Amino acid sequence: MKKLLVAVAALVGVAVAASVGSAGTARTAASSASAVTCGSSRTIGFLVPATGPAASIGQQQVRWAKFVVNQWNKTHKTAKIVISQQDTQLGAANGSAQALAGAQALKSNSKVLAVVGAAGSNENKGIRQTLKGAGFGWVTGSATADELTTTEAGTRGYFFRAVPPDSQQGTTVANLMIDKLKVSKVYIIDDEEAYSTGLADTVEAKLKAAGKSVTRDGVSQQESDFSALVAKIDRSTNVIYIPWQLSPKAAAFVSQLKQAGKGSIAVMGSDGLYADDFAAAGNPPTIYDSMFPVSPGQADVKAYEKAHGGNGDFFGAPTGVATQVVVQAIDRACKDGKATRAEVRAQIAKTNIPKSILGFTIKFTKNGELSGGKFGLYKSNGKIFLPISL
Amino acid sequence: MQHVPDLISIFFPPWKNWSFFWDLTVSGLTRGSIYALIALGYSMVYGILKLLNFAHGDVYMIGAFLGWFMLQWLGGPSDPFISGWFVVACMLLFAMLGCGVLGVGIERFAYRRLRDAPRIAPLISALGVSIILQSSAQILFGTGFRNYQTETLVGFSIHNVGDVFFSTVQLVTVLLAGALMVALTLFVARTRVGKAMRATSFDREAASMMGIDVDRVISVTFFIGSALAGAAGVMFGLVFGQIYNLMGFLAGLKGFTAAVIGGIGSIPGAMLGGIVLGLAESYATGYLPQGSTFHDLYVFLLLIIVLIVRPSGLLGTPAIQKV
Repeated sequence: MKKLLVAVAALVGVAVAASVGSAGTARTAASSASAVTCGSSRTIGFLVPATGPAASIGQQQVRWAKFVVNQWNKTHKTAKIVISQQDTQLGAANGSAQALAGAQALKSNSKVLAVVGAAGSNENKGIRQTLKGAGFGWVTGSATADELTTTEAGTRGYFFRAVPPDSQQGTTVANLMIDKLKVSKVYIIDDEEAYSTGLADTVEAKLKAAGKSVTRDGVSQQESDFSALVAKIDRSTNVIYIPWQLSPKAAAFVSQLKQAGKGSIAVMGSDGLYADDFAAAGNPPTIYDSMFPVSPGQADVKAYEKAHGGNGDFFGAPTGVATQVVVQAIDRACKDGKATRAEVRAQIAKTNIPKSILGFTIKFTKNGELSGGKFGLYKSNGKIFLPISL
Repeated sequence: MQHVPDLISIFFPPWKNWSFFWDLTVSGLTRGSIYALIALGYSMVYGILKLLNFAHGDVYMIGAFLGWFMLQWLGGPSDPFISGWFVVACMLLFAMLGCGVLGVGIERFAYRRLRDAPRIAPLISALGVSIILQSSAQILFGTGFRNYQTETLVGFSIHNVGDVFFSTVQLVTVLLAGALMVALTLFVARTRVGKAMRATSFDREAASMMGIDVDRVISVTFFIGSALAGAAGVMFGLVFGQIYNLMGFLAGLKGFTAAVIGGIGSIPGAMLGGIVLGLAESYATGYLPQGSTFHDLYVFLLLIIVLIVRPSGLLGTPAIQKV
């Protein structure tokens, strides 16, 4: 009798689990398929670190997204875009939970048709099931970890990015160090976030494959005192590679490097550090950086700079592109007056923006990667970064 | 004994020579001096009120911002109206004065009415003040980082004595922190107010009955503790280059830890705790596996060991229970 009861209980359990699973699938399909009347305003979700340790770069993304939306709204009075913004607090102790809460809030808002963000690679990993479950297509302007677009990620057709991946940036950086700087000893310090460790892994592997001496270290983005870390760096090191996300932290690191009498060691940053305060921290030391090639001569970039006191906020520029992608996809999906999240998603995949602010045509591969995206290399003149070639 | 060379090679690989040790020591002394100044505020307030003032780390953050504003008012780091070191002196004085007044205000507003309440009440009030200060800083100063640009202001002259490399700013920080600590010790030991502070710390009620104005003594304690935190905030900005609205939380935690290691309530203990904590962090970062990432883990393990061996801290005195 007891065995029979256990068997029945097990069967009931399996049946309940199956029904919950199918209900979840049904809900996913429903949320994706339920059409929204486009009307005179359409809503996009925006996941961004508006506050917290990464707020300085998050605010650049906010300003670019708002700039793109404002420009659109000026010329599309009957099809205005409304931003539903959720703060992810990237880098804060509760950052991952905050990002997930933001994604869930967007999921439950039936007006939201697609999402811009999230900023961090770890954040995107944490929220992808929620966003995919809601049927959203989402476009990030800064998450570059390679694994976000692999088949295992399971987000093909949902996740897109307006920045090239780490492997591309890492290869460009490693080539600079090997071919142009002729390094023999490199110290790599990641910031313990997926973005940074991914880039550091790529560069480390390429340098080691080229027979270079590489020391690997890591430091939290919460730190401001790098003096002990600086003490660990041998004075005969050629280049310190810091693929971090907070340029003020990198500037502080360079300042402490100089205080320790190690200002002769060159420092190389990544796209997250492409900012004037990092550039101004150098000379000496020589500071290099890699960055997606924002096109300074492009009309939208000039208009942005004019509207923001001459500040280009270039780290936020790809988020401006991501916003552009989503806004245009919604517009195309709304041609018949109604749109579903699935329709918007399909339109995102068909994106074709010939003259983007990044200086090249924006198209996506099947994996959601930028087609033909590339990284540029820059060197500080003590004030700003200037492009260099390999 | 045959393992000794192996251990040496682990902790002192070829490039980790004495120069490396001294680099870590300079780094540890610099950060330890800052921790010590913060720890003094925790310790003084605890000594007199038995209150863990968790808003203290945020007072330190406000001090760093006050210093930055003074720097801007004096023309900024690249074009100051007066000489660079005089600007630094003005920044320190302004931050100390502003934080002192802030500390007195916090005590008057958030703690005074709770002196006789259950001990959890002022603790919660302290956490509330901490959040209010953090949020106010975010509203008033924004979330961005501010840079003191110390190199532009006073330069980074690097000196060396044998293998010991240090900058003028680091030297000034350690010397100034030491001078403030000595001044505080003399103040507490040799002045009437200091005597009143010791009496209040020993027995508040008895001190009151002996004619000591306890409210005034507590206000002075908060003023001095907060002023030291303000000085620590400016020193941090000068040495480490950047300040931001969330910088107080971790620094407050470290200052509190330093106070506990040294023996909370003890002024020399707070100083010693700060230096020990700073050096321990620095050596852990340099010598222990993945030290850059896990130095806090090692340091808090040290804290637990210290407390197990000496529950009242290095220089604390065990509490005597009357039965």
